[in-house]
Amino acid sequence: MSRHPAPEELLLDYAAGALPDGPALAVALHAALDPASRRALDRLNAVGGALIEGEAGAALDEAALESVLARLDRVAVEPRAKAPVRRPGFEWAPPPLVPHLRPGMGWRRILGKFDEIRLDVPGDAYRVSLLRLEPGRGLPEHKHTGYEYTVCLQGGYTDATGSYSVGDFAVGPGAERHEPIADPGEPCIALIVVEKPIVLTGPWGRLLNPLVRRGLL
Amino acid sequence: MLSADEAADLIEAIASRQDRAAFATLFRHFAPRVKAFIIRGGTDAETAQEVAQESLVMVWRKAASFDRLRASAVTWIYTIARNKRIDLLRRSARPIDTEDWLVVYAPEGEDADKSVLAGQTYTRVKELLGGLSEDQLVVIRKAFFEDKTHTVIAAELKLPLGTVKSRIRLALGRLREALEKDES
Repeated sequence: MSRHPAPEELLLDYAAGALPDGPALAVALHAALDPASRRALDRLNAVGGALIEGEAGAALDEAALESVLARLDRVAVEPRAKAPVRRPGFEWAPPPLVPHLRPGMGWRRILGKFDEIRLDVPGDAYRVSLLRLEPGRGLPEHKHTGYEYTVCLQGGYTDATGSYSVGDFAVGPGAERHEPIADPGEPCIALIVVEKPIVLTGPWGRLLNPLVRRGLL
Repeated sequence: MLSADEAADLIEAIASRQDRAAFATLFRHFAPRVKAFIIRGGTDAETAQEVAQESLVMVWRKAASFDRLRASAVTWIYTIARNKRIDLLRRSARPIDTEDWLVVYAPEGEDADKSVLAGQTYTRVKELLGGLSEDQLVVIRKAFFEDKTHTVIAAELKLPLGTVKSRIRLALGRLREALEKDES
């Protein structure tokens, strides 16, 4: 069990299908790494099941079953799903991340300080990235007006709110400034989902913020 | 009525021999319930029926990935319907197969006995839901039926975010305690 589980209200949002795709990916990766949260989601899914079972049922057109049965001739029963194959160089990626890793994707060095892979997740309200920090290195000081969700996938990092290791989940409520630093050991890799807009606050912020707004940083 | 074991048997019959009669029985039981569930969220009947039909087609396609030790049939069908609702209602052209890996794929080393809530447990969950306070139930039902985040629910109920969070935590805490006691 991780020291920093996802808050239960966020697990409910996920189980109810209400989360946008970016935050939903963060919760899925956390649950893939954290058995306690996975069990919480099992319980919540069972709540969904109980609510469906409790329905009296709304009548379907007479033809509905017939038309679906007619379609089944063209729909194969698929073989049992297997866990996705791990990609070389991405052995740390939990299964729900693997479909997002496109061939040829690679780390991009940002500001000479950290590496980033920007993920293509539908919806433009969130920026979804993988970040890699060498031990002892930090992210540029920044603030954001919206939510920020972080899941640690390799190594660990520490900020003003505590120390985070693999599977740990953090929700930034917003406005406060924070500067995570990667812990000693292997490089820290994390998924970061940030509600836009993002504003850099350090000495270089004024210069760099136009680039952030244009999605170049 | 269809018991949890009967429903699981029918899904396995689809997986092992593409049993159309088994599919028809599942369809007659679950499609109207999924449709009613979707309508509760304010979706029109026609779209709700589309979600129900597409969900049952997905039950056919994915039958071999159903594992009765991981989830009861109706819980599994719920997760499929939830994802279909997202696909069809948000109409987001999601480039990625929305397979729910957390449901279909038990991580290595996971103790099957401990993976909770297999078999008939949804009836227990139903019972437990009946024991929640009205305040807590309102939030849970809004989340599941109306597909809304706790932030949106707080705004709609004109409640402070902290109040909604604590209702959710109390409700889920009660479910967890009761179910863990059952297991031990």
